[in-house]
Amino acid sequence: MLLLALTASCKADRNTRAPSAAASAGKTREAEWFVDRAQETGIDFVHFNGMSGEFYFPENMAPGVALFDYDNDGDLDVYLVQGRMLGPGKAPSQALFPPRNPLPLKGRLFRNDLKIEEDGARTLHFTDVTDQSGIDAPGFGMGVATGDVNNDGCVDLYLTNFGRNRLFRNNCDGTFTDISQESGTDDTGFSVSASFVDYDRDGWLDLYVGNYLDYSIETNKRCFRPSGERDYCPPSAYRARRDRLHHNNRNGTFTDVTARALVGGAFGPALGVVAADFNGDGWPDLLVTNDNQENLLWMNQRDGTFKNTALTSGTALTAEGRAEASMGVDAGDFDNDGDEDLFMTELTGEGSNLFANDGAGVFEDQSARSGLGLRSLPYTGFGTAWLDFDNDGWLDILTVNGTIAAIEALRRANDPFPLHQRKQLFRNLGNGQFEDVSGRAGAAFQLSEVGRGAAFGDVDNDGDMDVLVGNAAGRTRLLINNVGAHHHWLGLRLAGEHVPRDMYGARVAVFRANGPTLWRRARADGSYASANDPRVLVGMGDSIEPPRVRVLWPSGRVEEFAGAKVDRYTTLKEGSGTAGGSVR
Amino acid sequence: MNGTTRARGSLPFMLAVLMAGCSSPHQQQLPVSLPDLSRAATPVKDQLGERYTSLTRKINGAATPSVELGNEYGETGKLLMAAEYRDAAEPFFLNAQALVPGDARWPYYLAHLYRLRNEPEKSAMCFERALRLRPDHVAALVWLGGLHLLQGRPEAAEPLFTKALSLQPRLAAGLLGMGRAALARRDYAPAVKYLEEALAQDRLATIIHYPLATAYRGLGEAEKAEAHLRQRGHVDPDLPDPLMAELNGSLRSAVTYERLGLDALDKKEWARAAEYFGKGVELAPDNPSLGHRLGTALFLNGDASGAMNQFENVVRRSPGFAKARYSLGVLLITSGRAHEAIEQLSAAVKDDPNYLEARLRLADALRRSGRLAESLSQYEEVSRIDPHVAEAQFGFAMTLVRLRRYQEARDRLVEGMRANPTQPAFARALARVLAAAPDDRVRDGRQALAMTDRLLKEQQTLDLGETMAMTLAELGHYEQAATLQREVMAAVRKAGREDVLRQLRVNLERYQRHEPCRSPLRPDDPVDAFEAGVEPGYSEANRQF
Repeated sequence: MLLLALTASCKADRNTRAPSAAASAGKTREAEWFVDRAQETGIDFVHFNGMSGEFYFPENMAPGVALFDYDNDGDLDVYLVQGRMLGPGKAPSQALFPPRNPLPLKGRLFRNDLKIEEDGARTLHFTDVTDQSGIDAPGFGMGVATGDVNNDGCVDLYLTNFGRNRLFRNNCDGTFTDISQESGTDDTGFSVSASFVDYDRDGWLDLYVGNYLDYSIETNKRCFRPSGERDYCPPSAYRARRDRLHHNNRNGTFTDVTARALVGGAFGPALGVVAADFNGDGWPDLLVTNDNQENLLWMNQRDGTFKNTALTSGTALTAEGRAEASMGVDAGDFDNDGDEDLFMTELTGEGSNLFANDGAGVFEDQSARSGLGLRSLPYTGFGTAWLDFDNDGWLDILTVNGTIAAIEALRRANDPFPLHQRKQLFRNLGNGQFEDVSGRAGAAFQLSEVGRGAAFGDVDNDGDMDVLVGNAAGRTRLLINNVGAHHHWLGLRLAGEHVPRDMYGARVAVFRANGPTLWRRARADGSYASANDPRVLVGMGDSIEPPRVRVLWPSGRVEEFAGAKVDRYTTLKEGSGTAGGSVR
Repeated sequence: MNGTTRARGSLPFMLAVLMAGCSSPHQQQLPVSLPDLSRAATPVKDQLGERYTSLTRKINGAATPSVELGNEYGETGKLLMAAEYRDAAEPFFLNAQALVPGDARWPYYLAHLYRLRNEPEKSAMCFERALRLRPDHVAALVWLGGLHLLQGRPEAAEPLFTKALSLQPRLAAGLLGMGRAALARRDYAPAVKYLEEALAQDRLATIIHYPLATAYRGLGEAEKAEAHLRQRGHVDPDLPDPLMAELNGSLRSAVTYERLGLDALDKKEWARAAEYFGKGVELAPDNPSLGHRLGTALFLNGDASGAMNQFENVVRRSPGFAKARYSLGVLLITSGRAHEAIEQLSAAVKDDPNYLEARLRLADALRRSGRLAESLSQYEEVSRIDPHVAEAQFGFAMTLVRLRRYQEARDRLVEGMRANPTQPAFARALARVLAAAPDDRVRDGRQALAMTDRLLKEQQTLDLGETMAMTLAELGHYEQAATLQREVMAAVRKAGREDVLRQLRVNLERYQRHEPCRSPLRPDDPVDAFEAGVEPGYSEANRQF
């Protein structure tokens, strides 16, 4: 009791209780904050990275994962990226980790067959529907992005590859058609993260594709450690490949507008992309994380072009002035001041970065002040997101980790893939600082794996954020959240007026009686090479009062909605609210 | 060789030593062993083996004094740490510290070892111990201050930097630390003061520009902030640290020498860089990247023929290494050996089709050699691969001029101006074409006048003077054109460019005969010099030629 009182007094600015002391103290599996339930729910998938000891770059950088409702049945389905054997003339059996699933090596689609009983009991089960879906993705997959490119209300799938990228149109009947070539989005090379964003606000989703390196198996270089042992090369061993911006022509095709739209043409080895309105002008901007080079902040000029303001905005480099190996990225309002802040995962020894927005698109590096930089120092982070895992109204951070260079202790132990690390969960203390609560988050956080992609969403529709994790040469994990349910929540789906799709980029203000207004955003992008639940999930703490909700739609319209009840999902359709309200 | 060496001490004592780290050095010794060196390079294996054998001898010699034994442990630890066997190095340093507790070197190295293992708390403890033993250890003060900044504790960092500055008042690294501490407190005015001073002490330390820009931005001085952003770089201020310098240079390894060479390049110490790369090449003669870096360093040190020999060596040993062919091609062009240059550059783009710099240089060389159609297709290919490359757009347009396809050239230049508003080369070339193209459908004296007038307000160059003379002649102002042409010629004469003078004289005679100019370009391409990027020489960002 005394301990609880002390804890409360130290965190007085956090307007809610600590995340479930009961949950952390409990010994049953369900009492753990997060529990991996992938295998038992039917997601029996092991990533194959095709490595054979030649230190090929792509083997170390995948896979991404996706959570999206492809069949519009109200629950999140799963897409998992798969690799294939790398190296000329090599068979999968020659891989250091031969394939473990008796399936053809290609990306897999799993349908969520969630059943919810009247008493709220949930049965979560996934069925592999790849074959009947028509998705045939045998390339070396890197990542995945989701978005409804033809405004038919069914989410389409874009796959980034080491090789040719693919766009699969959802036929709204459980099947997909490969429209890569005819759509003009089948870039070849080495793409990792992509983002669907309606950058010109014409109501149609455009596509930004982050490209990594000008790399091929044939030009693979040999790099060494000081001891002379072979290792992966740094990205600087190769030239970066220019990103691409594809404008949606509203007819199933896209036009590459890179040269015209990205003024100045800055580029680097891109690994992460997130779209958000960073300066509050109502137009979506793009933050691109680059590996060991300056990040890019493409500020929307509202005329179909973007200008890179990363340097002047303070997001290109760390406070010290160093370009770091930025990988995963997410935008979210961690300090509840109404603007989009940035979090980026970095290489071991660099520490993750937190950039706090002043509301006008100028950022301050608060990595040291927040404690996030120091506590992530030993880790190489990839997939990440701002998520309010305990629904207390403050956005927390989760990172999935795994190094690029061999970890000495693992190498000494003759570990065949000595890159694995544990995941980290950071709890927002509400005072600008974060506490590493990984040790209390459950057995899933004790697993040491080569984490890469991570998708965030409410897989069991119980009002808290679950996490799908893609591991290089490892098993996919589905971390089901058991702690968020201890607080109240508000679930919102933001749908278009004339098109029944999720309105990516729509911003939501949730006005609370006791506490600051919470600002959240509908999005599927961010993290690393992955696609997230586009629904907005807002932690309400102890509040059960239906809050007033204001939505800033991508069209520029501002509407208020009353009557959205807590502890359930509500669809807000553009045009059905009360017009008005300020944008702040 | 790889077996664990007998240690003098019992298990409980060993555990105590290991756990203590830098907090309480103990007399007992931990067991030590070499890591698995089976995949290490032979020179590294040999060097570590010799060192370990020497240590084992000392351990087994009962009469070895503690100080001597401690030093042996420490020296072995240094080599292991240099080879990045940091876990393996730790017990060696701990033993050294236990045996020679008064020697600040061992906690200092341990501090760096923990820092590099991303254990900042342990690292800080070791720096503190080193400072207790040697309070005037400037490098330890600076490093420890940096750790406190990382921990978000500027108030703890500041006294350390202050002390370092009391010992070395002009220490740029100390001043930078003070500036960063002030920035962390959002105290922008002192941040500017310290960072400006740091920069004044070490102009090569380009890393300072970025925090300085942030500090100016905090003060609301946007112009100064932007000026410093433009000068940003990655080079740290020099921190005299003989102990770490000794460690970093101790391993006979190609990678080590390469890193040392790159550091020397950062400091613009070309000769030292060449020396390190040379040592690396001796150990790894088949490493084309190292050989290429050696060539670059030699060139930067003024030894063009040595550089050319080196690039030729690399090409001979690694014919598929496109960078060496590119660098060789660039040097051959400057030596006037265009045919050979084209051969090397062609081979570079064949081996690496997306190598834009090489393709651009090849296109330029082909154009200058009169192989215009081939040049055009190379420029086109660059633009296909990357539509943003302004040099390719420009080169393409200029080749069209050479091919007398003036309308297309004009359109390309107009498009180039639109796409590259900060690049004046397009406007300058367009003004020339408008002033003197033989094609009546293209020539437009009035537009040429307006453009040249505007360009001359921005910058007065001989090229623009010549363009203005062409424009005046086109508009029928022959006397003015001739006067201006004479002025340009005087300036060129002063510069000793007799070759150019001959060309200029031809036009002067035309103007004197009241004839306009009908050839926008001289044979030596007076307007094709690009503001940036056309001379793809040494790139600081990539630290390569």
